[in-house]
Amino acid sequence: MIIEDDTIICNELSKLLENNNYETVILNDFKNAFNEILEASPDLILLDINIPFINGKTLLQNLRKVSNIPVIMVTSINQETDEALSISYGADDYITKPYNPTILLLRIGAVLRRTKTNYNTNANLFTYKDLEFDITKGTIKKDNIEITLTKNEIIIFSYLLNHQNKIVSRDELITAIWDTADYINDNTLTVNINRLRNKLKEIGYTDAIDTRKGLGYILS
Amino acid sequence: MNIGAYLKDNLYKFFAFIICYVFNLLIFFAFKVGKQVILSSTFLYLICFFLILFVPYFRKKKFYNDLLANISLLDKSYLVLETLSKPEFYEGELLYQALYEINKSMNENVRLIEEHLQNFKEYIEMWIHEVKIPLSTLVLISNNHKEQFDTKTKLQLKRLEDYIEQVLYYARCENAEKDYLIKEIDLSKVIKNVGLKNMDEILENKINFIVENVQYQVLTDSKWLEFILGQIINNSIKYKRDIDYSYIKITVEEQEEQTTLIIEDNGIGIKESDLKQVFDKSFTGENGRNTNQSTGMGLFIAKNMCKKLGHKIDIKSKYNEYTKVSITFAKNKYYDVLK
Repeated sequence: MIIEDDTIICNELSKLLENNNYETVILNDFKNAFNEILEASPDLILLDINIPFINGKTLLQNLRKVSNIPVIMVTSINQETDEALSISYGADDYITKPYNPTILLLRIGAVLRRTKTNYNTNANLFTYKDLEFDITKGTIKKDNIEITLTKNEIIIFSYLLNHQNKIVSRDELITAIWDTADYINDNTLTVNINRLRNKLKEIGYTDAIDTRKGLGYILS
Repeated sequence: MNIGAYLKDNLYKFFAFIICYVFNLLIFFAFKVGKQVILSSTFLYLICFFLILFVPYFRKKKFYNDLLANISLLDKSYLVLETLSKPEFYEGELLYQALYEINKSMNENVRLIEEHLQNFKEYIEMWIHEVKIPLSTLVLISNNHKEQFDTKTKLQLKRLEDYIEQVLYYARCENAEKDYLIKEIDLSKVIKNVGLKNMDEILENKINFIVENVQYQVLTDSKWLEFILGQIINNSIKYKRDIDYSYIKITVEEQEEQTTLIIEDNGIGIKESDLKQVFDKSFTGENGRNTNQSTGMGLFIAKNMCKKLGHKIDIKSKYNEYTKVSITFAKNKYYDVLK
């Protein structure tokens, strides 16, 4: 759910999220924000601090009294005090405008995964065709063959898997890896992708990752 | 109060005394007064003269001496009036009153200017928050329509954002009011955020971003530190050399009393003659003239912010070899005890 008073930003944001396989709802009536949220009961809320009628922080405080819906604060105020305050009111993350869209998506993914693991122990298990991918263990498994992936390969594979059948740009992959603090360059990414390809080949998935020249990669 | 200068200033009293005395003598002679009377009246004359000359000197001396001494002692000499007690002679009272009025009107003036400044700062902050909204929209639009907008757009948007941030932090650090929050933060997290922010430019310029052993906690404001680091890394990108292997290397050295963050690059470096001035406002130096992209504000703001946060920032460089910036964070023992 997106709570934001600027309609253009709202639409672009929802387009971005829908392009990445999320369903979005936009809050319409700020006067009735609280009830509208509870009615929609979203998996996650992107909340702007400066919204009409009710301050984002107050809304968050009220919401926390009745609900644990994950909230990411999105704001143009880049200040430590503000961030500390938002977190203390119960925000799960805090992102400042203008944000890098890839990073926003990564944060959303991280918050969702963190909150989902509370109910569902299998949130770290993914499947690709008949292959099992365990993020926490960093392994891919088919039948009885298990292959361990390196940290960067895990990130690349899970990112591709989350965007299956969509073109993923090299930029996005590098951003995802930098986000876990491994500052690789262009060449290293190529090396990592090739290694991942070879490992997939070993268990019978030849050409799973396709190169689209000038655009990026695609996992089919 | 200098006695010589005082006497010189009162020269007219000598003349008045001598003229009066000469006339008096003439009168005494005209009336044929006896020697005894002349001598005793001369004696009285002299006593009167010295009293008239020196009593005012001693009355005024304390007030003026205190005034001058306190002015030179105080580092804010406009506060001198507060340190003086009201003088007990007429001239002094006038001066005191005048100073008091001047002070008052100046205070009012200063207050007005401060108010203007504060209003302006608030307006700038608000404006920056406002302008970030269309900027974020642009970023999103360019991301959603990748086929129409390439990396060039992205880099220009980033430049726009950088300049906007610079104004924000300039407004913040130039102001007396406290806009930061110091707490224990993880250096690696700050570096990650700065890295991600500048990732496109770093990759575009084929620079290797090397970060080694930065898992340290320091006491600072993470947003401010992110900005400071951003300025330094921006410079490293801007002033890279045309060579096969460029790098920006970030490391941490920990000593007993302090932690030092070091950002090193193998860019064009800074000429020794320019090195001392790089933190000065609007200084661009030889590098700035050559690339035509310098505002000379980045390092100036960074230095000011470091000063406010209590960090030390240093720069070393060799022309055509390297530039090395270090930021030193003091460790707070008191804080450790509290933990």
